[in-house]
Amino acid sequence: MKLALLELRRRPWRFAPAVLALVLLTALLLILGGLLDGLYTGFTGALRAQPGPLLVYSADAKVSVPRSRIDAAMTTEVKQVPGVEQVGGLGTALLGAEVSDQAAQASVALFGYQLAPRGVPAPPEITGQVYADTSLKAYGVKEGQTLLLGPKRYPVLVVGWVSDTNFMLQGSLWGSVDTWREVLASARPDLVMAPGTYQVLTVSTTQAADPARVAAAIDAATNGTTHTVMRSVASDSLPGIKQQRSTFIAIISTTFFVVALVVALFFVLLILERFGMYAVFKAIGASSGQLFSQVVLQAGVIAVLAFMLGTLLAVGVGALIPPQVPLQLTAGRAIEVGAGLLVMATLGSALSLRRVVSIDPATAIS
Amino acid sequence: MTALQLENVSKFYPSGDREIFALGHASLEVGDAEIVALVGPSGSGKTTLLSIAGGLLSPSEGRVMVGGDDISGYNPNRLTKFRREKVGFVFQSVNLVPFLTARENLLVVADFGRRDKKKAAARADQLLGELGLDKRKNNLPAQLSGGERQRVAVGRAFMNEPDLVLIDEPTSALDTKLGEQVMELIVTEVRARDTAAVIVTHDLRMTRRADRILAIVDGVIGDTPMS
Amino acid sequence: MLVASRELRRAPVRFGLLAGAIGLLMFLVFFQQTLLSALLNSFTGALQNQSGTVLVYTWEARDNLEASVLSPDVIAQVAAVPGVGQVGPVGAATLTLVFKGEQLEVAVIGAEPGKPGQPTKLISGRRATAPGEGVASSESGNFGIGDTVTTGAGGLPVTIVGLTQQSQLNVLPTLFVTFDAYTALRKAANPDATAVLASALAVVPSSGVSPEALAAAINGEVPSVTARTRNDAVANAPGVSATQASFVIVLTLAVVVVALVTGFFFLIMTVQKTAALTLLRALGAPAGYLVRGLIAQVALVLGVALLVAAGLLAATTATANTGLSLTIEPGALVASTASIVGLSLLAVAFSVWRVLRIEPIQAVNPPALGGME
Repeated sequence: MKLALLELRRRPWRFAPAVLALVLLTALLLILGGLLDGLYTGFTGALRAQPGPLLVYSADAKVSVPRSRIDAAMTTEVKQVPGVEQVGGLGTALLGAEVSDQAAQASVALFGYQLAPRGVPAPPEITGQVYADTSLKAYGVKEGQTLLLGPKRYPVLVVGWVSDTNFMLQGSLWGSVDTWREVLASARPDLVMAPGTYQVLTVSTTQAADPARVAAAIDAATNGTTHTVMRSVASDSLPGIKQQRSTFIAIISTTFFVVALVVALFFVLLILERFGMYAVFKAIGASSGQLFSQVVLQAGVIAVLAFMLGTLLAVGVGALIPPQVPLQLTAGRAIEVGAGLLVMATLGSALSLRRVVSIDPATAIS
Repeated sequence: MTALQLENVSKFYPSGDREIFALGHASLEVGDAEIVALVGPSGSGKTTLLSIAGGLLSPSEGRVMVGGDDISGYNPNRLTKFRREKVGFVFQSVNLVPFLTARENLLVVADFGRRDKKKAAARADQLLGELGLDKRKNNLPAQLSGGERQRVAVGRAFMNEPDLVLIDEPTSALDTKLGEQVMELIVTEVRARDTAAVIVTHDLRMTRRADRILAIVDGVIGDTPMS
Repeated sequence: MLVASRELRRAPVRFGLLAGAIGLLMFLVFFQQTLLSALLNSFTGALQNQSGTVLVYTWEARDNLEASVLSPDVIAQVAAVPGVGQVGPVGAATLTLVFKGEQLEVAVIGAEPGKPGQPTKLISGRRATAPGEGVASSESGNFGIGDTVTTGAGGLPVTIVGLTQQSQLNVLPTLFVTFDAYTALRKAANPDATAVLASALAVVPSSGVSPEALAAAINGEVPSVTARTRNDAVANAPGVSATQASFVIVLTLAVVVVALVTGFFFLIMTVQKTAALTLLRALGAPAGYLVRGLIAQVALVLGVALLVAAGLLAATTATANTGLSLTIEPGALVASTASIVGLSLLAVAFSVWRVLRIEPIQAVNPPALGGME
C-alpha cells in the first residue's frame, strides 16, 4: 500500500492533470448543488416554514398561491373537520420595494398571516409593521427602516428579522392580515380580497390525526371546492420547481459520470506509461490484485485532494457571485459530492483492472 | 573516399559528481564499401559509437565525419536531416512501424524527406523485389515472419541510398537458420550497393564475413586484423 | 502525411469510437445550448414576439411583468412623452381556465386590438379583434383553431382564431386576448378585485425615433416607470438571468470537459505509439512532420465528431418531446464549436509536447527502469 502513496509524494506532477480536472469538476458539482439548493430554499422557504402540515387551496387554483381564493364560508367548513387543530389564513403579494434612504430596490413577497410560521413571531399588532427575511440585508435593508411598497409607495416598518422564509426567490416580509389587505388595495387592486377571504389556509392537525386523512376530509367537507395538500407537495408545486430539480439533477448526474470518465482515462494513460514498471513488479512477485489496489488507492487519494481544493474553489467563486444569485453551499451537499466523487473515482480506476491483469511479467526481461 | 571517420571521439555522462566515460578517445576510419564488425561485451560502448556515427548522439569531444560531412557540431535539426539523407539503420528491436505495411515502412523514409513519390515508390518496389518480399509487400508487420520483418528493415535502411549503414545486433533475436539468412542478405546488399557498413554483433558468423573486426572494451577501441 | 493517414486507415474502429465519444460530448453541449434558448424563449417569447418595441413597467416592479401595475394617469404621462408613436396597455396574468373539460394553467395576455402588444409570430389564423376571440400558443396545450376556452365556471368563452409560435410566457400555454376580455377573465377569477390595471405598456416610437432613444426619454420624463427596449425587457425578465447564468456556467464547464477528454484521448494514443514515433525520429523524421500528422488526425476526428453531434442534434430536436419548441440556432452553435475546437487543440498541445520530447537515441537505447523517464 505504501508504494502508491510514495509515488504520489515523490512524483506529484504526474498526477497534476487529473487533480486539476477533478478540482474543476468538484467545484462545478458544488456550485450546481448550491444553485439547486439555493433555488429550492429561495422559492419554497415561506411554504416550508408554515406551522401546520397542510395547506388548503381552492380547487381551481392548481396549487398556485396567487390564483387561490378561500372565502370565509370555506374557512368555517375547514375548521369543523375532525382532526383539524388550528386554521390560519395566509395571503401574499409580490411587489417591488424601495429601501427609502438608499434609493435601492428589492423584489419582495409580502405575507399577511394568522398562524406564525417556524421562526416567525406572532403577527405584529400594529398595521404597517413587518418582519423581514435576512436575505433582504443584501439590499441594504435594516431593522427600523421603512420600505415603500408598490407604485403608490405604501410604507412598512421593519421591526425584526426572520430567516429561510423567502418565496419565489423574493425576500419575504411578514405582517398582519390587515397590513396585507392595505398593501393590496394600494399596490394591486386587481388582487384585492374581501375581508375574511384569503389565498390559502394553513392547517395544523391534532397529534392523533393522520394529516393525509384530514386533507381528504377537508376536501370532502367543502364538496370539492378546496384542494388540500401536504406542505411538501405545496413546495414542489411552485412553478418551475420540478423542472429545475430534474434539469439540475440530470446535469449533476452527467457530471459525476464525467468524473468517472476522466479518472478512467487518466489511469489508463498512467498504466500505459508505467507498463515496464508494472511488468517488473509482477516479475518480482506482485499479484495483479496488489497492483490494482495501488491504482484504486491513488484514485481515492486524488479524489480526496481534488475535493478539498475544489471546495475551496467553489467557496471562492461563491464569494464572487452577487448575493442576488441564489447560491447556497451547504455541508450536507458537500458531503454528498465528496462521497460521489470518491465512488466515481474508484469506479473510474476500476476500468484499469483489465490492463493491469494483462501485463505480462515476462516483458520485464526482454 | 572515407565513409566514416571518427577522430578522438569521446562521450561521457555526468553521474553524481563524477563523469562516466561511455566512449574514450575513439578513432576509426571506414572506407567506402567496407564492412566493419564491432564486437565487445555489454556496456563496452558499441551502441554509443554506433549512435554517434549515425547522428543519434553528439560526441562530448572529437570529430565525426560521415560521407565527407563533419557532423560533430550539428544541432538536433541538422542531425535529423543527416539521418534522413545519409545514413541507414537496422535496429536491434522495434524495427518497423506496426500500422504500416512492408511497402509503406520503406516509403515513409521518402515521405518525410519529401522526395519524389513516384521515384520513391519505384525504389521501394525494387528493393522489396530484391529482398524476395514482392508478394508480402502489402502485409502489416504482425502478418510477417521474424525473418521477413528483418528483411523489410534491411530494405528500409537502403531506401535513401545512404553512404553508411549502421546495423545493431541484426541476428540476436533470430534462430540459427534465420540468422544465417539475414546475415547473408545484409552482406549481399551492402556489397551490391558499395555502401559502407558498421555492424555491432556478437555473432561469429557475422564477424567472419566482415572486412575488419574491431574490439571495443570499456569505451576504448582495439583492432583485431581479419584472419 | 503518410504515417498519419495510414494510421487512421488501419485503425478505423478506434478512431471511429473516439470521434463518436467526442461527438456525443459535443452533442451534449449543443443540446444544452438549444434547450437553454428554447427555455428562455418559452419564458419570454410572448414579450419578444409582440409588436411593441418598447415596454414600460412600474419602476419598483424590477422588470417583473407580474409585479407591475400601471395606473391610467401613469399611462397618460408615458403617452405624452415626445417620440411616442402608439401605446397599448398590456395585461398579463396566469389563470386557471377550462379547455376540453380539463383545467389548464394558462398565461393570459390582454392587449387592445390595433394597438401595440399584439403577437407577431402567427403561424395560422388571425389576431383577436373582439372579446370572445383569442390567439393561442401552438407549442403546448394542444390548442386548435375553433377550440373554446372558458373560465372555471364555464363563462366568458374565448374562441381560438389564431395560433402562434415562440410566443409563450413563463413556459405556459399562452392565450392572447383583447384587453376587455382580459379584464373580464381577471374579475371572474377574483370577484373582489376593485380594478384590473395594465401590467405594462407596449409602445411603438414615432417615425425617426429609435426604441433606445424613446426608452431613455420615457425613463427621463416619467420617474415612476422603467422603460426598456423589447430586447432589454426580455434579457432582464426575472428568472431569465438566473437561468442563463446557471446554464452559462454549466456550458462553459462542459466545453472544458470536452476539450480535456479530447486531449486525454490523444495523449493516450500518443503514448501508446511512442515506440513507433521514436523509431521514426531515429530514421530522420522531423519533429514537425510527426506533429503535423497528429494535428491532422485531431482535426479529422473533431470534424467527424462535429458531424456526429450535428446529426444527433438534428434528430433530437425533430423528435424530442420536452414541451419546448426546439430550434437549432446556427450562430450559437458556431460559437460553441469554435470554443470546443480551440480548447481541444490547446489540450492536444500536451500530446504535441510529448512528441517533441522524444529522443531519437531511445531507438537504440530505450530508457531503463530507474533511468530516464
